[in-house]
Amino acid sequence: MKTDVFISGDCIISPLGMGSKLNFEQLLTGETAIAPVDDATLADHRIHAARIADHQWIGKIRNASGYTRLETLFILAIQQLIDAHSIPVDRRTLVLLSTTKGNVSLLHNPEAQFPENRIYLAEMAHAIQHYFGFANAPITISNACISGALALSVARQLLQYSDTYDQALVVGGDEISKFIVSGFEAFQALSDGRCRPFDRDRNGLNLGEAIAAAYVTKKATDDAVRIKAAASFNDANHISGPSRTGEGLYRSIREAMQLAGEPMLDFISAHGTATVYNDEMEAIALHRAGLSDTPLHSLKAYYGHTLGASGLLETILGIHSLRANRLIPSLGFQHTGTSKPLNLITQPTERPLGTFLKTASGFGGCNIAMIFEKV
Amino acid sequence: MDVPSHYIQSYCTIRDRSIALNGTTWLKMDSSTTLADFLKSAYRQLDIDYPKFHKMDGLCKAIFIATELMTRDSGPYPSDTALIFSNRSSSYLSDNKHALGIFNTENATASPATFVYTLPNIALGEISIRHQLHSENVFFIFDRYSPEFLVPYTQAALDDKKLANAISGWTEISGHTCDLLLYYIGKSGSVPHTVAQLKRIYNEHE
Repeated sequence: MKTDVFISGDCIISPLGMGSKLNFEQLLTGETAIAPVDDATLADHRIHAARIADHQWIGKIRNASGYTRLETLFILAIQQLIDAHSIPVDRRTLVLLSTTKGNVSLLHNPEAQFPENRIYLAEMAHAIQHYFGFANAPITISNACISGALALSVARQLLQYSDTYDQALVVGGDEISKFIVSGFEAFQALSDGRCRPFDRDRNGLNLGEAIAAAYVTKKATDDAVRIKAAASFNDANHISGPSRTGEGLYRSIREAMQLAGEPMLDFISAHGTATVYNDEMEAIALHRAGLSDTPLHSLKAYYGHTLGASGLLETILGIHSLRANRLIPSLGFQHTGTSKPLNLITQPTERPLGTFLKTASGFGGCNIAMIFEKV
Repeated sequence: MDVPSHYIQSYCTIRDRSIALNGTTWLKMDSSTTLADFLKSAYRQLDIDYPKFHKMDGLCKAIFIATELMTRDSGPYPSDTALIFSNRSSSYLSDNKHALGIFNTENATASPATFVYTLPNIALGEISIRHQLHSENVFFIFDRYSPEFLVPYTQAALDDKKLANAISGWTEISGHTCDLLLYYIGKSGSVPHTVAQLKRIYNEHE
């Protein structure tokens, strides 16, 4: 039996603050979370990144010493959603966690304060399950930078085609660690200042931290948004380099548009990491899909690349954009910097909004496109 | 009971230092063989020329070998074959290598060739390239082999996209453990795609 699936609630914890409405309002004022970071535990030189401050999480949960920093942040976001929507923790609720690296900061780290088995994502899931007493073990998805959006898509498929669950909590998050910073540096992927998605002078990404959580249901509340369609295709081309033709992303967008009945899109929330090759690939895929003129933003210059949270974080902010009928500008963009020009949003324009497309792409050649519409 | 819509067309198991295809042993080595030597021997026995194999980490190599064996048995995978994988240790082999490098007090190093493998879904990218699969990839992390979740999810994904084929299973490869079951799902065959059958297949390889 095929039923519609909705996002009926959401929560964001980011360096800009706690709560998705607050985060959305901050974006409209042009606030950015990216700042210079001088921290020898991350790198032996300055980087530009968006980090969640200690006061945002320390001491905010029960038995705080039993949980890692990242687990605490996941718990805070889940608690917010449970409290706001009275979500049961029984068999009918599925928790999907999205993370690329979880507690990997503990691995071989001489300063780690937790046993090393906590690096296993199933252990992190178990800790979160135990905190709330969820009847089902949370399911974790680790699928590179599309994890957050993919977890939403998986939740939709499960609610739509299986009668095992009534609702899902989809929660994405990652933290900045030496593990991740050193790896992106090895790829020469980090920007030397605040990133500039789709701009001519972009020279890499910023890493960011956020937790984003969505309450996914079969029943729509008044301000719910329908997950209209989702499609995901691999490039089958290269494990770390974006496809030159944008093949997987193009196919994802085309299929999602077809499944959604070729809707008029009011805006696109792109992946837009601000690396030279990623943004060029996206511009090509969007051009091939005939969407070059649709207003578009990347939110990476506000939050950095939040890895396992990014697809969810940016979807939730897109939903707030729909509700408020206000387009979020693409911070950091000045001059066209892709071979196929795109229609970047530069002002927080007010206009009736009903439908948007979210895309994401990641290592391993994975891509996803999802379409959301007001109920 | 409903008629099953999908069946297991072929399956491959890797346990410790042995590999079986559809329940029949294909390679068995002494348990003292290192993981690297074991996987290299399996590659040689496949008798193919695919230089990319040698750059992969252990997780990718094991998955590569299993998918290679299944396609020999059941024919080429259609390009829309969905990939729905799971394990416990994610990309631990490469995570471990990268972390050892960056916390090395004498000569801290980070290599892109290692870092790229610190994501479990890279293996799905590798086999997508090898078999030219343009399809949906999902990598789940479970505490243990969980057909109770994997089977209904895979069925939901197949129904959602009206797909005939998927490769799915459990791929737990760490320094000490090799515990892999991959299976190729299609519209015909004699073994239905059910939780009970997947428990049986998982347990038959001693």
